[in-house]
Amino acid sequence: MLNSYWTQIRMNLLLTLRNRIALFFSYVFPLIFFGVAGMNNEGGNGVQILNIVLGLGVLGGGLFGVGIRAVQDRELNILRRFKVAPIGPGEIIVSGMVTALVLQVPNVIFMVVLAHRFLGTPWPTQPISLLVFVSLGLLAFASLGGIIAAIVNSMQEGMLLTQLFYFPLLFLGGLTFPITGFPLWLQTVAQFIPSTYVSSGLAPIIRGKETILDNLSSAGALALTVVLGTLLAAKLFRWEKEEKLRPAAKFWLLAVLSPFIVLGAWQMHAKTNIAKAKVLGRDVQRSRTSLIRGARIFVGDGTMIDQASVLIKDGKIAEIFTGPAPEAKSVRADAIEAAGKTLLPGLIDARVHLSLPGFPISDPAYFQDLDQSFDRELAAYLFSGVTAVKSVNDPPGMVLKHQAVTASGERLGAELFAGEVKEDGFYDPALAGVEARQAYQAGRTDLLERSLVQQVVPRQWLAQVKDGLKQRDSYEAVRNPIGLEAAKQNLAEAYRTGAMLVAGTDSGYPMAVHGASLHRELQLWVEAGVPSAAALQAATYKAARMLGAANRIGLIQKGYEANLLLVDGNPLQDISATERISTVFFKGERVNRSELFEQK
Amino acid sequence: MEPVIQVAGLHKSYGNFEAVRGIDFEVAEGEIFGLLGPNGAGKTTTVEILEGLRARSKGQVSVLGFDPEVSKRSLKDRIGVCLQATNLPDKLRVQEALEWFAAFYSRQAERDKLLQRLQLWEKRGEFYSKLSGGQKQRVALALALVNEPKVVFLDEPTTGLDPQVRLEIHTLIEELRAAKRTILLTTHYIEEAERLCDRVAIIDEGRIVALGSPRELQEHVFGQSRIEVSTAQPMPADLPTFEAVAKHSISADAKTLVVHSTRPARTLPDLIKWIDQKGLELEDIHLKRPTLEDVFIELTGKKLRD
Repeated sequence: MLNSYWTQIRMNLLLTLRNRIALFFSYVFPLIFFGVAGMNNEGGNGVQILNIVLGLGVLGGGLFGVGIRAVQDRELNILRRFKVAPIGPGEIIVSGMVTALVLQVPNVIFMVVLAHRFLGTPWPTQPISLLVFVSLGLLAFASLGGIIAAIVNSMQEGMLLTQLFYFPLLFLGGLTFPITGFPLWLQTVAQFIPSTYVSSGLAPIIRGKETILDNLSSAGALALTVVLGTLLAAKLFRWEKEEKLRPAAKFWLLAVLSPFIVLGAWQMHAKTNIAKAKVLGRDVQRSRTSLIRGARIFVGDGTMIDQASVLIKDGKIAEIFTGPAPEAKSVRADAIEAAGKTLLPGLIDARVHLSLPGFPISDPAYFQDLDQSFDRELAAYLFSGVTAVKSVNDPPGMVLKHQAVTASGERLGAELFAGEVKEDGFYDPALAGVEARQAYQAGRTDLLERSLVQQVVPRQWLAQVKDGLKQRDSYEAVRNPIGLEAAKQNLAEAYRTGAMLVAGTDSGYPMAVHGASLHRELQLWVEAGVPSAAALQAATYKAARMLGAANRIGLIQKGYEANLLLVDGNPLQDISATERISTVFFKGERVNRSELFEQK
Repeated sequence: MEPVIQVAGLHKSYGNFEAVRGIDFEVAEGEIFGLLGPNGAGKTTTVEILEGLRARSKGQVSVLGFDPEVSKRSLKDRIGVCLQATNLPDKLRVQEALEWFAAFYSRQAERDKLLQRLQLWEKRGEFYSKLSGGQKQRVALALALVNEPKVVFLDEPTTGLDPQVRLEIHTLIEELRAAKRTILLTTHYIEEAERLCDRVAIIDEGRIVALGSPRELQEHVFGQSRIEVSTAQPMPADLPTFEAVAKHSISADAKTLVVHSTRPARTLPDLIKWIDQKGLELEDIHLKRPTLEDVFIELTGKKLRD
């Protein structure tokens, strides 16, 4: 019995190795893809390429390997000879599946080695999980191929049906590009597609972030497909063309996909996989390699580097090259030319109120959906180059929830801090808030005319500001005991006495718009007589110290998180340069600012 | 001794079409049994039921004591089958094909000897696609023998082969007879059945129309030889009554006489003596024993081949 399996597998392997077309598609094709993708790999995302190549191999090797071979052998009357031997369909299918697996495993190892050697990807830290998961995926697709083979009546029909499965599995399942780019309904559809569960497990396993144990439901569904699929493929197996196909047979194909129908239905409700896909898509963006070339660098601790290049890799600052910039190609990175620009650590706003809108608004919808408001405001901060904020007096449940979705990368928004400060003795004048309250009391709207404000607040809300001003009450007047000028003098005094200054804004109060206000805060500090460098330090390194996070954010230093703000001009000479934002980096991702407010 | 194959009242229908309509026969150990009939007579259907490939509609079947429908696997393990048309993957070498199929069976023949016996030794490393038709058929025979089977089913083993190759295959089958294998052979070649089979069942439209050794069939069903005489001059019309002659006929020009005789050894001398007495000059004389072909035509009213 074992001998029969072993011989069967050995002969299958021999025949495949003698078949040039099969060899091409199993080995050369992924290699070509690898080469093409690798050449365009200035972005340095080897892991993503490895992910795609392995996905292609698993899907192609599984779906085409077993099924098409069986149809061909039946068409050529080869299977008839096996029919008269003491061997069952199960043995033929199982040995076919094992053959496909044996053919694919060297491919997986080869690709991992290639990616390591030429694309600089790290060795997988979870090789066993990777191998098990790849195998499960391959066998699941192979059993699907076996069923397809049983229910088609000709080679053409077999190719057609196989491809009918291949392309959706390839493109909709996230094997080639992340499904996060799809409209939401299509993302939901993708949850019914088996390859979605392969890709959502494969990517984090390759990155070493997860093991097979973190993907038990996916692995279970795949394993169930393998078992059901193999049983059905054996049951429906046809040795000869002439054998009649029972009319109900085609529906069995749906039966084998039932684990995924169940998973899909569950996901329609739970949406955890869609969230996971977003996180995976974010990981891809965050693991890109970029080189910011030839910038003026404000380190954050008050020092400057006149000309330096910063290499960002895997979300961190990997290297700072002083002097002439290295070629991006030599470090396998996307180049960002930054001559004449200034690179700062991502700004930190030490005092914000996310449950308040930041401008007078009468629309009750704003206050009803606080969830959306938080999303919007955290996005507005990132848009404005503010990569971290400290929330004050916001509902703790809402804060925790948004900390989670932004931390995982499911949503893009500034890092959210809350709760007690880690160190005492910080002075936070919040001048922008003082100015905003004065303007509000006076019914002035000039603060909303600033360019950055116009960019982060939707037009239809700005249009309602006049209504909001009519409804204002005297409450704010009581809450604002001192005027702006007095507050400026206090700050100047504090600076002179060497107090630990941090920049907060009280954003959220009327006319203190989220994100934009921190830039105004810095300008007011300079007006108050604080040097630009000291003001910027208060909005970066010192604020990070107050948050107890100065070991990872607030500085441009090797090993720090790549939260960076690249601006045109030199804010040390003209503090308003911070508003001329060229690029924002957040955890290594070059933030697409125009899409921040359209996250699904 | 228990017959190796027993078939009683076998019926097989495909929908409304009755392919086999009540067949009975037995094959004894060591016998070569032939199913002779035209295409579509039900031979292959019968054989495939015996091999366990098809389910029967009605009747009793036993092969080596197994019911083919119940003990498919045990049966397949013990029989050898050579299909009407065998095909193997192009890029499979001859010896690999034998090794592959041998792995399925619990008993295994010595493959090197088998290759030599079937004159495939020289070709053992050749790809299947590179073989000639005769070589491919010898591979098919080798596969049928790879498990030292007690019973071998040969379904039209020489169909489509040229006469030279057909003779080669016949020699191989005769060697199997010498090795005391039980063989069930289907064919629509008369000479194949005549030469190879111990007993033949003539099958037509799903029924056995005659069964016996080739000689028995000839004699029992149609026990007359045909004597044809031609003379230079017309023969006189008053033909005497020869001994053992069943019927006779004379051609229009009276120069050719056909006589059917049950005892041609007696009839022939009388006939020659009569021609001599009448002063006729003998031009030509044929004595023809009846063939299975004649039997077949007589029984079914059709020819075996078109």
